[in-house]
Amino acid sequence: MFDKMSDSWKPRIENFKITMKILLKSPASAIGLIIVLVYFIIALLDQVDPYILGITTNVNTLIPNYVNTAPQPPSWLTNPWDFSLPFGTTYPGINLYDGIIKAIRIDIAFSLFVVVSGAIIGIVLGVFSAFYGGWFDEIIMRLTDIFFSIPYLVLVIALGVFLGRSLEILSIGLIILWWPIYARVVRGQALSIKEQTYVEAARASGVKNSRIIFRHILPNTMAPIFVQFSFDLATIVLALATLYFIGFAPSNSWLPELGFLSSIGYEYAIVGDWWTIVFPGFALMIFALGMNLLGDGLRDALDPRLRR
Amino acid sequence: MKLSTYIIRRTLMLIPTLIGLSIIVFALSRAGGINLVISAYINPHLPYQLQREQLINEFHLNDPIWVQYYYYMVGLFQGNWGYTRTPIYTGPVTDAIMIFLPNTIQLAIVSFIIAVIIGIPAGQASAVRKDSFFDQLTRVIAFVGISLPVFWLAQILSLAFATKTISPSFDILPLSGTVDQVLIAGVSWINAQGISSPTHVMMIDALIHGNLPIFFSALRHVILPAATLAFTTIAVIMRYMRASMVETLNMDYVKTARSKGIPERIVIKVHARRNALIPVVTVLGLTFAGLLAGVVVIETIFNYPGMGYWTVQAMLNYDTGGIMGTTLLFGIILVIANFIVDLLYAYIDPRIRLGE
Repeated sequence: MFDKMSDSWKPRIENFKITMKILLKSPASAIGLIIVLVYFIIALLDQVDPYILGITTNVNTLIPNYVNTAPQPPSWLTNPWDFSLPFGTTYPGINLYDGIIKAIRIDIAFSLFVVVSGAIIGIVLGVFSAFYGGWFDEIIMRLTDIFFSIPYLVLVIALGVFLGRSLEILSIGLIILWWPIYARVVRGQALSIKEQTYVEAARASGVKNSRIIFRHILPNTMAPIFVQFSFDLATIVLALATLYFIGFAPSNSWLPELGFLSSIGYEYAIVGDWWTIVFPGFALMIFALGMNLLGDGLRDALDPRLRR
Repeated sequence: MKLSTYIIRRTLMLIPTLIGLSIIVFALSRAGGINLVISAYINPHLPYQLQREQLINEFHLNDPIWVQYYYYMVGLFQGNWGYTRTPIYTGPVTDAIMIFLPNTIQLAIVSFIIAVIIGIPAGQASAVRKDSFFDQLTRVIAFVGISLPVFWLAQILSLAFATKTISPSFDILPLSGTVDQVLIAGVSWINAQGISSPTHVMMIDALIHGNLPIFFSALRHVILPAATLAFTTIAVIMRYMRASMVETLNMDYVKTARSKGIPERIVIKVHARRNALIPVVTVLGLTFAGLLAGVVVIETIFNYPGMGYWTVQAMLNYDTGGIMGTTLLFGIILVIANFIVDLLYAYIDPRIRLGE
């Protein structure tokens, strides 16, 4: 039993090793991978035990301090060895280090949830519509056309106005908008794989349709999905931050979110407190940059033409 | 297939997409219950109770959902898009569109021109000098460009060029709005909310009325938002132009042209660039969609009275009529943009209409 398991896993591990080798050859993708790993570790540590990261309170919201609302500069500006306030504070007296660390976890978790859910729906619909074709395929493709015809920010805003401007509604709205791209990608792949000889052989030997789809077609459509997945993780984080920046959430919710953090300090940044917007925005940009670099590297590493 | 046949076929394909779009907006508006639907059509200048019964009858709000959809579409075609209530404008949605849309078109066109003027030559140059320092630099800029949060870029550029925070002597551009408040005091063709007439685009109106100081002030106000909006688009166009140009430069006919002794400058300009531009045209359509999403954020930060600003104001004020109008209009703009791109593509590249 165990031998059989390890036999079927061997080629996959081998495959993974080759991918990593090609990926790490390019410095840009290596940097991307490192950035992404650091962010995910920060998010995990904050989930497990925030005190490790030096966060003083174990609360999932930002903590406004109405006694001392004016932004304070980072502590190392006055004393180079003082890191008690590494990023300073923003209005109203929110510790930016605490806020950014908590925000990274919320942003990544939200983005993962949206992209994974959207991808699963899209992959299943895409592979079925390629396999069965006909009117089902036609309906799915027309649906994706329609969803591509609305700017996603506008549609999510509309959903928020009619159903309530909350994180839950937002995630549902983004999932509804994010499956079509996966359906298109998987369908395109599956259409060509469907015609391959090994699928024909499987069909001729009487393998059930569901087994052909999930065992023979689906695993081979995964390479472009991983690439799309890493680009989308960045896009969704940016979308969430943008929506919170323009005031999608009620302002008293105090959800730690990088876009929200850089919006509340803007009034003060204009008159000189630059750190209130520089640090949250920078944290956001680096994450998106890491995800995009990784996606670009994966595209090369998973490209069969470049593998040999 | 002849070009005319293709155009007709592609035009017919618009119909299901537009119907689907209207169904989405309709479904959204009905998802929140009857009171939200009514509030979208209430005229704010008339008493509420009288209109409520009237609107329920007019849009058949107590009837089955498909009957409601029919009367919703009837309303759309009769020009009854509801009423919007935002601080900057209160009145019929159709009038609000006439006010906000021209400003957004102006912003989109200016930034699109900036993006094409910079993006195409930069992409071409980095393809010609592949793997040079310049190529690596554009690669980094492109990656930063697609990773930058648009709102953050807008903030940073504002700090840099419109305030004394980062560069004390360099606050040369205005921070927000469309024109200097000092200049428009007492000008007869600008109303109290700062909306000019007759076209509602400050720059054009200033030219119509022959007021040059207001024209230049308006021009200075559009630079920062347009440049911010253009940044991401530049990144995308540049990368596509590079990829396409690299591919073209390896084609046999380019090698032939070179071997005939034609100067490299002419090979690039005449033989390679024209063919490399073909796939870039399709990307222009995609970037236009990105531009529309960016408009929502940038107009809000710069207090620029366009569609995006209106959308966000409508959201913050629970203005259901305004939201239904903007969603539908943004969708229509995007559908038409994709339509134009497809036609352009078919016109440039005969394989599209001959193929299949």
